[in-house]
Parts: sequence; structure tokens; C-alpha cells
Amino acid sequence: MSEAINIGSVDDIDEGEAKVISAAEAGTEDDIAVFHAEDGNFYALNDECTHETASLADGWIEGTEVECPVHSAKFCLKSGEAMCMPATIAARTHKVEVVDGDVLLYPNVPVAEQA
Amino acid sequence: MTSPQSVAIVGGGMGGFSTAHELRHRGYEGPITILDPFGAPYDRPPLSKDYFLQERSAEDIQLIKSEWYAEHNVTVLAEKVVSIHPNEGVVVTEADTKVPGEVIVLATGGVARKLHIPGNDLDTVLQLRTKEDADKLREAIAGGKRLTIIGAGLIGAEVASSALKHGASVTLIDPSETPLVPAVGETLAKRLHAMHTEKGVTVVRGIPTEIFVDQDGTNVRTEDGETYAGDVVLVGIGIIPLTDLAEDAGLEEDNGTLVDEAQRTTHPNVYAVGDSSRTRLRDGTLLRRAEHWEHAMNTGKTAAAAILGQDLPVHSAPWFWSDRHGVHVEGVGAMWTEHGETVIREVDGVPVAAFRLNENGELVGCAAIDDALAVRAARRIIDRKITVDPAQLADPTFNLKKLAK
Repeated sequence: MSEAINIGSVDDIDEGEAKVISAAEAGTEDDIAVFHAEDGNFYALNDECTHETASLADGWIEGTEVECPVHSAKFCLKSGEAMCMPATIAARTHKVEVVDGDVLLYPNVPVAEQA
Repeated sequence: MTSPQSVAIVGGGMGGFSTAHELRHRGYEGPITILDPFGAPYDRPPLSKDYFLQERSAEDIQLIKSEWYAEHNVTVLAEKVVSIHPNEGVVVTEADTKVPGEVIVLATGGVARKLHIPGNDLDTVLQLRTKEDADKLREAIAGGKRLTIIGAGLIGAEVASSALKHGASVTLIDPSETPLVPAVGETLAKRLHAMHTEKGVTVVRGIPTEIFVDQDGTNVRTEDGETYAGDVVLVGIGIIPLTDLAEDAGLEEDNGTLVDEAQRTTHPNVYAVGDSSRTRLRDGTLLRRAEHWEHAMNTGKTAAAAILGQDLPVHSAPWFWSDRHGVHVEGVGAMWTEHGETVIREVDGVPVAAFRLNENGELVGCAAIDDALAVRAARRIIDRKITVDPAQLADPTFNLKKLAK
């Protein structure tokens, strides 16, 4: 398992907002968006819509889904599944944990489904 | 009918693909065939933008990876359908292939509307509807050519912007002073239309009467007698729905194959979706035929649910987008109502969004430039019929998301 990156306190990302961790910082090929979903949990996906280049972190977060700001594709934050066309390919997930009030991101550790 | 023996989908645009995808998504396991002379379905909006600019390849604009079809037992047949026989449950192609379709879905789209003026059939007068059209247009304007575009709607405006990036010099002709007013309201339409001139497009208000070739190239003459010389002309003035197959099969049509709210035509086993379909409500009211990408996707989803006897999906207020000159514009709902008011949101004196309220103070339409989240919020506010405060809408520091919850 890769090293966790402490991306800050849970209070740094408001519910319904996201923070982008750059590929350089995460040591990954793509930027990662860490979402604070409306269920109170944190989730991370590659910060790119699988339909066409667009930042998912700029998208509309509702419940545990994010809607791409460009063409309205929707992704499940828990599984990365493409919930709505035009996206038909899942977004890549990365494991996130909250430990002692800090949000820990595990780049390249996929998550089938978080609780 | 809750699970037909087979489904034949005529046309591989967004409507046809959406129907197939949704049938599988909803659990249908029978054979599905998509018939389209151009083969596997691809996305058309990029044809005037990133495909045209070669920023995305033909493979990149496929609606889904090619493996999906085999994995989901969906056959794509690259043949042209010449007749449908709903009573026999079969469609017939030009090559005389007979494809079973207990249910037939017409997703035939449309063809580019022609200008009925002399010279409209010249080799240098092009259209943009398919990948092949986009390739031909790109090739024709390569190397600093002069492109004259007739029609400043979505396609015309997007191609004007893309053609500049290809190094072409562009003349844009449209009869209206400010195109797109019905879609985005007057204020934003003015800002968007003015961008053409700012970016170096020659904008002409006029009605073309003739296209002719002389030593200056391919010329467009307008009603006031002016002539605009160029090398290539693109006509982007809308589409004509393709309804021949429906008509030949005895289905009712009126500028589109008539369908009910479940996308069912006047034959119980035939559905029509996307650009070629037009909804007739139970009381006989004919709705305006929609030509938007999202409409094609949504009607495909509706048809799939109806074919399987499932509850019809509820769709949000209609939405569209356009990209030109480096800005992203979106609109949702209706920007025009007989009574009501329009509220403009400005940042540093520049209009960035317009909101249409009906006489009850409910939001019914919104358009915005480079503010997709405002449009997403507006769509939810429209769907939920929330009464809004015009002062909040006009305030650029007010987060609309608060109202949408």
C-alpha cells in the first residue's frame, strides 16, 4: 500500500466541496479530487471526467454523487461508477481515511466501495 | 409487452445509443441491433469543436468503447435501413439484410437543412452533420482559406470560432441582428455575438440570395446586393427530421414522427427518439420538436423504460451548452415567457448570467457564460418550482446553490 498523504483537517473542506491534490503532490499520473460528500464522508476520484476533459472538483456534489460541470455526467463518489451518460466509463477511485480529524489520501489505492 | 423478443434500433446517434444503453442498464437481455450506415455510435457535439480541431480523434468521440457492444450483446450493423415492417417485426437494409425487431426504435435524426437559393449545390458549399462532413470542412479550409458561414446559431458560431484556430478568415452571415436570443436571452446573446467581431470574424446581417463562383472564389450575395467572397461556404441553418421510414410504414408525422410521452409512435411496437421525433400530448397539443443532445439522450432513456413496461424517468428542465471563442455557455429551461421578468447578473459590468422569472416569481429559465454551477443550481430551482428573490439572483456574490437545496 502506498503512503498516505495528509491533506489537512476535515474542516478545511466544507461539505459539498472538493480539494484538488496535484499529480505531482500525489505521485500519480492524474490530479486527484478529494470530495467532502453530503453524507459527511470523504471520497477521492481522479479529477477528470471520463467523458471529456473537465475537473470533477468543479462539479456539483449532491448526496454521494458528483455531476461534471461541463456535460452533466454523474459519478458515484463511493465507487467511481458512471451513473449517467455521456460518461460511460468509471472514474478511478483512491482510498481516503479520516484519522484524528485529518483527511488521509492513499493515492493509487482503489476503493471498491467505502462505507 | 414487458420484454420484447428483439429490439432493432435504426440510427446510431445519441438517441439510438442511449436507447440501447438504457435497455441493458434496465436489465433487458434480448438481442439488440443498432443499424447505421456510419457504424458504431459517436458523439456529435465535438464535430464543430475538438474533433474539428483534431484535439480528439474519431476513436475519442465514440460514445462507448467498442468492446462494450460485444460484452453487452449489442450488434452494430453498418447498413442503411430502407424499410421497417412493424407488423412482421423486421427491418430491411439496402443490402437486403432482414433484422428482427419485435420492437423498432427510430433514431434517424435529420439531415442538414438546405438553402433554397441558386448555387446551393456547388462543391464548395458544405454542411456539418457527420464525421465525414467535419473532415471535409477541415480539409477545405486548411492553409488560411476564407470561410463564409451562413447561419450564426450554435453550429455556425462554434465553427466560426474553431475555423479561426485553423487559421481561416471567417465571414458569418445571419438574418437576425442578435442570434440565440430565444436560447439565452437578449443580454447574453448580445455579448456572445459581439465576441465574433472581437475575435476577428466579419459579422454580416443579411439574407443570402445566391451563391456563385467567379475569379474571386465562391461568393455569397445577400438581399441588399452585397457580395462576400470566400473559398468555402458552410450552411448551418438547422436540420430536417428524417421521417421517410416512419411515413412509408404508415406512421403519423408532422415535422417529426409523432410520439406520445412514452416516445411511442402511432404503431404500438414502434418508438421514435431524438431529433426525428415530435411529441403530441394526449390533448392533441404538438410540442416544438427539440434538436438537442440532451433531448436525444433523455428520449432514448424514456423509450427504453417504456419498451420494458417500467415507470418512465422524470427529466429535468431542458438544457444545452455551446463552446466558442474560449467561453462555455449553458442554458436551461425557457428564457422566454409571455409575462415575467429577466434578471441579469453582472461581474465588473459584464453580464455573466440571465434568469427568467414567470409572473409568479418562479424561476423558469437561466443562461450563463462560464458558470456551469449557476446553471446546475438553476435547473434544480426550476425543477422544484422554487420562488426566488430577484435581488439574490442579480448578486454575483450570492451562491445559488443555497436556493437549490
